[in-house]
Amino acid sequence: MKPFKERIIDFSVTRYRLVMVCTLVLTLATGAFFPLVKMDTDPENMLEITEPARVFHNAAKKRFDLSDTVVLGVINEKDPDGVFNPNTLKRIYELTKFAKTLRWPDENNPARMSGVIEADMIAPSLVDHMSRQGPGTIKFEWLMEEPPKTRAQAREIRQKALSNPLLKGQMISGDGRAICIYLPLTDKLLSYKVYKALQEKTGAFTGDDQFHITGLPVAEGAIGVEMFTQMSTASPLAMAVIFALLFLFFRKWRIIILPMIIATVSIVAAMGLMIAVGFPVHILSSMLPIFLMSIAMVDSVHVLSEFFDVYTPEKGRKETVRQVMSTLFAPMLYTSLTTAAGFLSLTLAPIPPARVFGLFLSIGVMIAWAVTIFFVPAYIMMMPEKALADFGLTAQGGRKSWLVRPLAALGRFTHRRAALILVLLVAGIMVSIWGINQIRINDNYAKRFDLSHPIRQADTALNKHFGGTYMAYLVLESPGLQRPDRFEIQKLTQGLAEFALTIEDEFPRAPDLAANLARELPGIAQDASDFYAFVNGVGHHLDKMAVGASEETAFTLRELQVFFELERERNKPFKRPEVLSYMADLQDHLLETGLIGKASSVADVVRKVNQELTDGRPESFAIPRRFQSVSECYLQYQQSHRPNDLWHMVTPDYSHANIRLQFPTGDSINTKATVAEVRSYVEANPLPASLTYRWAGLHYINLVLEGKLVWGFLKSFAGSFLIVFIMMSYLFRSLLWGGLCMVPLTITLGAIYGITGIVGKDYDLPIAVLSALSIGMAVDFAIHFLERSRAGYREKGNWGRVVGHMFGEPARAISRNVLVIAIGFLPLLVASLVPYKTTGIMLFMILSCSGLITLLALPAILTIGEKFFFKGLYPGKEPERKIKKKDLVHTS
Amino acid sequence: MKVMFTAIVICILLPGTLYAGEGALTASEIVRRGNHMALYQGQDTKGSVKMEITDSQGRIRRRAFNILRKNADAKDRDQLYFTYFQAPADVRKMVFMVHKHAALENDDDRWLYMPSLDLVKRIAAGDKRTSFVGSDFLYEDISGRSPEEDVHTLTGTTERSYIIKSVPKDPDSVEFEYSISYIDKETFMPMKMSYYKQGDLCARQIKVMKLENIDAREDNRSVAYPTAVLTEARNFETGSRTTMAFSGIRYNTGFGTDLFTERYLRRPPRDVRR
Repeated sequence: MKPFKERIIDFSVTRYRLVMVCTLVLTLATGAFFPLVKMDTDPENMLEITEPARVFHNAAKKRFDLSDTVVLGVINEKDPDGVFNPNTLKRIYELTKFAKTLRWPDENNPARMSGVIEADMIAPSLVDHMSRQGPGTIKFEWLMEEPPKTRAQAREIRQKALSNPLLKGQMISGDGRAICIYLPLTDKLLSYKVYKALQEKTGAFTGDDQFHITGLPVAEGAIGVEMFTQMSTASPLAMAVIFALLFLFFRKWRIIILPMIIATVSIVAAMGLMIAVGFPVHILSSMLPIFLMSIAMVDSVHVLSEFFDVYTPEKGRKETVRQVMSTLFAPMLYTSLTTAAGFLSLTLAPIPPARVFGLFLSIGVMIAWAVTIFFVPAYIMMMPEKALADFGLTAQGGRKSWLVRPLAALGRFTHRRAALILVLLVAGIMVSIWGINQIRINDNYAKRFDLSHPIRQADTALNKHFGGTYMAYLVLESPGLQRPDRFEIQKLTQGLAEFALTIEDEFPRAPDLAANLARELPGIAQDASDFYAFVNGVGHHLDKMAVGASEETAFTLRELQVFFELERERNKPFKRPEVLSYMADLQDHLLETGLIGKASSVADVVRKVNQELTDGRPESFAIPRRFQSVSECYLQYQQSHRPNDLWHMVTPDYSHANIRLQFPTGDSINTKATVAEVRSYVEANPLPASLTYRWAGLHYINLVLEGKLVWGFLKSFAGSFLIVFIMMSYLFRSLLWGGLCMVPLTITLGAIYGITGIVGKDYDLPIAVLSALSIGMAVDFAIHFLERSRAGYREKGNWGRVVGHMFGEPARAISRNVLVIAIGFLPLLVASLVPYKTTGIMLFMILSCSGLITLLALPAILTIGEKFFFKGLYPGKEPERKIKKKDLVHTS
Repeated sequence: MKVMFTAIVICILLPGTLYAGEGALTASEIVRRGNHMALYQGQDTKGSVKMEITDSQGRIRRRAFNILRKNADAKDRDQLYFTYFQAPADVRKMVFMVHKHAALENDDDRWLYMPSLDLVKRIAAGDKRTSFVGSDFLYEDISGRSPEEDVHTLTGTTERSYIIKSVPKDPDSVEFEYSISYIDKETFMPMKMSYYKQGDLCARQIKVMKLENIDAREDNRSVAYPTAVLTEARNFETGSRTTMAFSGIRYNTGFGTDLFTERYLRRPPRDVRR
């Protein structure tokens, strides 16, 4: 019985028509699922649904009725009054009107509207202005009921807006040059639709006003949408360049179309399967085609390269294909298995879309392998022999080809100067280690966009003027209030007695009734689950006492109830002056650190209302001393056009509140520092009223995400590394060779991270994801090189003689691969999304680095350690039987 | 002579009988009578209001206050309002007082007394479409929107109601485009008012949930005033709704105009506080 390898090759060479049909059927069958594709552009889905940070974020959003918000900024740098001139304000007024119309019937529930939430929009014509109008008079009005007609009126609006600390730095910039309109959305996934509509509207405006649209949902939405559009523009562009490069090498379009076919078939099959199984295509999976294309390409370029070098018309295509497939079968199987295993380890990552990505990437890799093994021979057999007339290295100038001589020279160099190469290598490693230490882990959504992208420009321009367009919420939570214990009941009894005396004039029976009631309090407390239930219990008891009593007694009892209701209100944390003062202090502290651009909370509401209700002086911008005064401020604030604004800051029972922090930069490193700052502040200044805090907000979620992703990928990467090492050690039956196989990968990765650190590029999500690709590439070259070195050594028994052979055809295959893929993916640099640029650069670095190290370091190491590595490998020094067995293992 | 008399009687009565016939009522007459029923019945009214504000998540906030209203003339125009807060307990004794002036060019006078700050503030005329104590009712819903501010058309009738469409004369002064009112044919009580925004989107709705006849004396006769004892306001944009229950209602108790002056804000009479 023939070995497995032989049977497969035989099959594809003789039954080539069947193979062709099967390939076609596979492609069509999987491709048929494409119309069912569901996109998932929500980066939040990178976190498990049960992830505590995500669960709390959504709970907080619901609790405070918070919405993801699109920010429309208008800046005027030329006008002496900034945006506060009649013209610009009129435009802003109209834009606000227009933005209100950006809503559509909900897809799931046609009776409801989805889109911009008008009631929560923030714009000059939609917010209130509260001010003192002379002594003893207060005025509530719209800040800009209609666009001003004169410059003086426009300036008056500026002065009013600037007087409101809640609006300054949020809706209006401190310098009066810019205004932001905030458009909360029913669903953040609508942000791109809103973004496009606003862009079209503002695009028609001329003049000195600049219009910018930003906000995290926009950035995320745009990334989501544009990753997919770029996938369909950048990938074909890369394909075209690769095609041209292949043509340069092999000069026969019918041959070079092969890698394209293999790439296409494996991409279509892998994506089709993913869709068929029902997984949505996540942003991360939009990178799948690029990954698969490069990997599929490597295998087929190896085959083509070998075929090109070996083919002569005399030998004929059938014989050549047999020879080529036989030589490459083992290394191709190893490389595909290791690559697939590497990606498969992503399925252990704590990131749902990464698991899907890893799984289908490894499936795609194995599909690419199968297609290469079966389809390539079949395809070549389909071609008439005469089509290959002038094909092959021999036919095209043979040994004079431009790759041949330099590579041969390189081979001699590695042999003669092995020590020098190793010294340089060690030096390189040292530099890399130093570079890796310089790496800064930081992610920034805006930096996913090129500097010229409108979202990046909006980010820069608006964050220069405002407190920041990135938002996180510091949520303060109260554990609730226990039912009163004996000590507290004593205090309540005493308080009740004092209260009864204060109303004795009007209600003479009050002290008596209070004494009666006091005796019942321990019993009522016993039955109550918490303080609120206790107060209700007292109410019920008083109602019972009132039954059948005189009207006068009934009034007195109701009056006594007020005492308990007052106690209940007094105990609501965010009605307490000391809690609000704490919040104000914390906000001031955070502002002083410079980490945040603005902080706002109910502490600002109460201070502002208090100031306007009292005397309007700057020093009256303070928390009142009595809690009833705080309550009055709250009630006044609700008497506006927008009573619901309050409930975005505090819950209606005043038990939870949030401080909204605005960050002027999307850098996650800055968020991280803020989180640390809050922690140390709270440690030094314990929260009052047994409050605790937690974080929410998309900007904070991104920080959590970044931690998960960077470390998740790093961990799964370490896993892949280990798996590949174990596989290689098993395949080579030697830890030593397994280790040697990992050298190019290790050094490549070290070099890439080192360079990342040295040039000061942040280690972010795209880099973390792309690191995974290096496994697929760098190990490939090493396997090809080492497997064939071993095969050569078995034949020749002397490394010196094998080197010459290695720097012939095998080195040429590696070099061609490096050139095709490294250069082939450089067109990605023109993309406007940074992850695509990063992919282009990373592929270039991975390929050139691992290729160079494979061709320099591996031969140098083998030269120095020839005796060590090849011990017992030359058949002359080992029993024949053992080698046969080993060979079998390798290839089956 | 007899013929002459008959002719005169016919001349006087004929328009009247035509006028009273269904369909002959003009939109503005229906609105005028609706306005009277909603706000001007009796010389004065007094009662207790319990408000429940339920947000879209079902969280409830409560308010309780006593309200006094007195007509300042007999022409269904100027009125006086006095609102004394009972609950929440921490804003107890807060008072809100309004002298409503029906003439469009004459703004209402409004006062606010804040007990903890012990401060009386005049509230300068802004507009009246701000929230009433954080509820889904607006000030204008409480004290009434002057019929003169809108152009009214009778757009149809149902078995029980006239349907009136009212379009504001000054569209920039309000947040809605038009409103549709259902006015009861029998009592002329406005039972339902819906406020529409651009695109025929119903943004707010006020509905009388329960109407009761309240017995009272008027000029020494027994009368019954149909009174809305349970009203609901819904805001469809925020998903919030407020119910307002009116109890302990008494008409024509004859309290004096002097109650509605600044000096009573700090210490209202016992009758108002209870």
